[in-house]
Amino acid sequence: MNVAYFPGCSLHSMSREYDVSTRLVCQHLDINLREIEDWNCCGATAAHSVNHTLAVGLSARNLSIAEEMNLDKVTAVCAGCFSRLKAASHELRNNPHIKAEVEQMLKVTAPVKPEVEHLLQLLVEEIGLEAIREKVVKPLKGLRLAAYYGCLLTRPRQIAQFDDPEQPVSLDNLLKTLGAETVTWGHKAECCGGGYAASDTDIVLDLGGQVLKSARQAGAEAIVVACPMCQGNLDMRQKAMELDFRLPIIYFTQLIGLAFGYKSGQLGINKLFNSPMPLLKSKGLA
Amino acid sequence: MGVHKEQLTLVIGGGAAGIEAARVLGQAGYPVVLVEKSNRLGGVLNQLASSFPRWEDPAQFVEPRVKDFEKCEKVRILLESTVSGCQKVKNGYQVKIDNKGVAEELQVGAVIIATGFELMDLSGYGEYGHGSFANVFNSLEFEAVLKQWAAGNKPEKPPVVAFFKCVGSRDRSKGYPYCSKICCMYTAKQAGLVKDLFPDGRSYVFYMDYRASGKEYEEFVRSVIEDKHVRYVRGRPAKVLPENGRLLIRCEDTLMGVPVEVRADYIVLAAAIRPSQGTAEMAQMFGLKTDAYGFIEPEPFEAVKVQERVFLAGSCGFAVETLGALQQGAAAAAQAIAVLHQAD
Amino acid sequence: MNATTSPVNQYFKALQLDETDSSLSQEILENCGVDIERCLECGKCSGGCSNTHIFDFTPRKIVQMIKIGDEKRLLHMDSLWCCVACHLCVDRCPSGIDIPRIMDYLREKAITKGIPATRPTVELFHNLMLDQVHKKGRVSELYLILNYNLKSRQYLKNAELGPQMFFKGKLNPIPARVKKMDQVRRLFRPKPGQKGEAR
Repeated sequence: MNVAYFPGCSLHSMSREYDVSTRLVCQHLDINLREIEDWNCCGATAAHSVNHTLAVGLSARNLSIAEEMNLDKVTAVCAGCFSRLKAASHELRNNPHIKAEVEQMLKVTAPVKPEVEHLLQLLVEEIGLEAIREKVVKPLKGLRLAAYYGCLLTRPRQIAQFDDPEQPVSLDNLLKTLGAETVTWGHKAECCGGGYAASDTDIVLDLGGQVLKSARQAGAEAIVVACPMCQGNLDMRQKAMELDFRLPIIYFTQLIGLAFGYKSGQLGINKLFNSPMPLLKSKGLA
Repeated sequence: MGVHKEQLTLVIGGGAAGIEAARVLGQAGYPVVLVEKSNRLGGVLNQLASSFPRWEDPAQFVEPRVKDFEKCEKVRILLESTVSGCQKVKNGYQVKIDNKGVAEELQVGAVIIATGFELMDLSGYGEYGHGSFANVFNSLEFEAVLKQWAAGNKPEKPPVVAFFKCVGSRDRSKGYPYCSKICCMYTAKQAGLVKDLFPDGRSYVFYMDYRASGKEYEEFVRSVIEDKHVRYVRGRPAKVLPENGRLLIRCEDTLMGVPVEVRADYIVLAAAIRPSQGTAEMAQMFGLKTDAYGFIEPEPFEAVKVQERVFLAGSCGFAVETLGALQQGAAAAAQAIAVLHQAD
Repeated sequence: MNATTSPVNQYFKALQLDETDSSLSQEILENCGVDIERCLECGKCSGGCSNTHIFDFTPRKIVQMIKIGDEKRLLHMDSLWCCVACHLCVDRCPSGIDIPRIMDYLREKAITKGIPATRPTVELFHNLMLDQVHKKGRVSELYLILNYNLKSRQYLKNAELGPQMFFKGKLNPIPARVKKMDQVRRLFRPKPGQKGEAR
């Protein structure tokens, strides 16, 4: 399967381990990730906060390159990038005014063809849990995990069109397929504070703290994420939140990789702030 | 005259509306076949712990009427039976009945559809956790809980019970744009019953507004608030989160304009009322006009007449309370009698 | 006292409803495709809003203020600068009112009018990030944070995270860049009333 891959800025710097594990897992599942050539930043929170046309235009450029590469499926692993790409695609398809504006600025025909999917959606809906189960060589037995979806993976439902935004299950099902256990908890779709980590840190300490406490209360030994922003907010600020949990925050691709038999070093698990190594070792998984 | 009195009327559904229609017809001396798919007459009334606006025992609606039937020789009650087919014939319908697995064919001169409502499936309301968290009930499930409690199987500690109105009603995103009409009243009833059973317990009703237009209805809601001390909180809850074995409710108090949180032991969702499965089946079988939601639509300026020789009664037309169902049942019976007397 | 800069949640005198009009709701309908007349005033948006406890006006009130045409207060409110765009409100709204889109629209309008952000660091961060996108097409997190700390005069902010991030190889000193910048640049058009580099 050929898929256009949009890594996004984080995956080229702070979240390299997400990029590395994504590529390994996709290769293992015969998904041919073709990085969008010369891609640009999706604009993240900043662009849509101050300039709607710019926000749509930035993602439109990326989609249009994917279209030029003859790829009709685009995947992103950052929930923020995914959301921006998907929202832009929705606007280009449904808002003729902005479509014309963006076409004029980019001097291209609006790329309405490519379908945007987060990698989690691609794995669960197109590769399928059965195909993934077949590749599991080291089941994640004994791990009690909190599957965290956050906001933009599933919301708003009219645009994301993936899973249930209030009680999402796709990541839980995937982790169970890998042999892990997942906890029932309340904050799987609440916000971690998003893009405010630097500019208004108190917001992240408050919202991210609530997510961490809820996962802890439900008995989770680690939180599993599908977004570098969620990962950073939850992993790097536990001390500032005055939480003494040292709760590992692990990318879902790293856990798939582990279950497929890759070593923790290959998956960049050592790059995470609160090291999951003691936990993984205690379960005989690393 | 005698000829008319030999023509059968088929009543489909043995809830409040169907029972009343069959009773009126029977008392007037007309032969009736009442088809009910469950093993018992009474419909939803059998599930209810009490009634509004007078706290009467719902059995009191059912039992006297069933006794009336027993006096009428011409009323046949077929339980665990369904209508499986129909064909338009001169002056009526040829209908097929599945009578406890035995096929039967009847010619009827009039049909009264009283197939009732069902509660909307709430799986689309993940924010409230029905189906995900224990102790989140829809309103009919909670009637059964109330019956248990009233029978003495009560929780040890007086509970906190929160009632959410308009779940699926007045919601064009995930539910229906209409008001389900009866929820304001039965919610007040349920919240009041909780306070009767547990004077030290708490009942919260989360509401957008309360609609109590009916004889003694406004007084009923006021008495629940003023005499039974049910707390009404104006605002539609946003989210239910599990917290230490309890349920944390997040809401805005729209009078204060501030967020509020309530920790509850039980949550009751007043789910939208929609046409029952049986209503959809009968509408299709008899070729009846329905509205956008599947409720059976009467002819213009008609109360219960759907088409020549077919009438509706009760919540298959739109949500009605017990009293309304009885009124429509009686009206449908009267209209059926009128049509049986019409010349060819 | 200026009502829009004093405790903003207070209205100091009776609102003169007969002096307001619905031009703002019309404007939002035309520009965002959001029809606020659909609001049922139920508050479901606001009860679950991630930051409702720090908002000066809850989402429900914001919609109501659009209805009564209180544009001045809307463009000055703090909620514009602490909304996390989590989309819980629109996802739950029984009328599907796209509040995040309204927030973006109002914020963009406030910026265009030169109204200062109630949280300057938030606006600064957005601007620095978009500067990078404008210059290089991509964002280098290391330089963004360093630049942000410098410009916001919080020289030691997050410094405790620095060494750990460095040793874990999380800070990439090579700034990323897009080769064909012409398309990206054209997306940044100048706006009236905005000083400095076109955005």
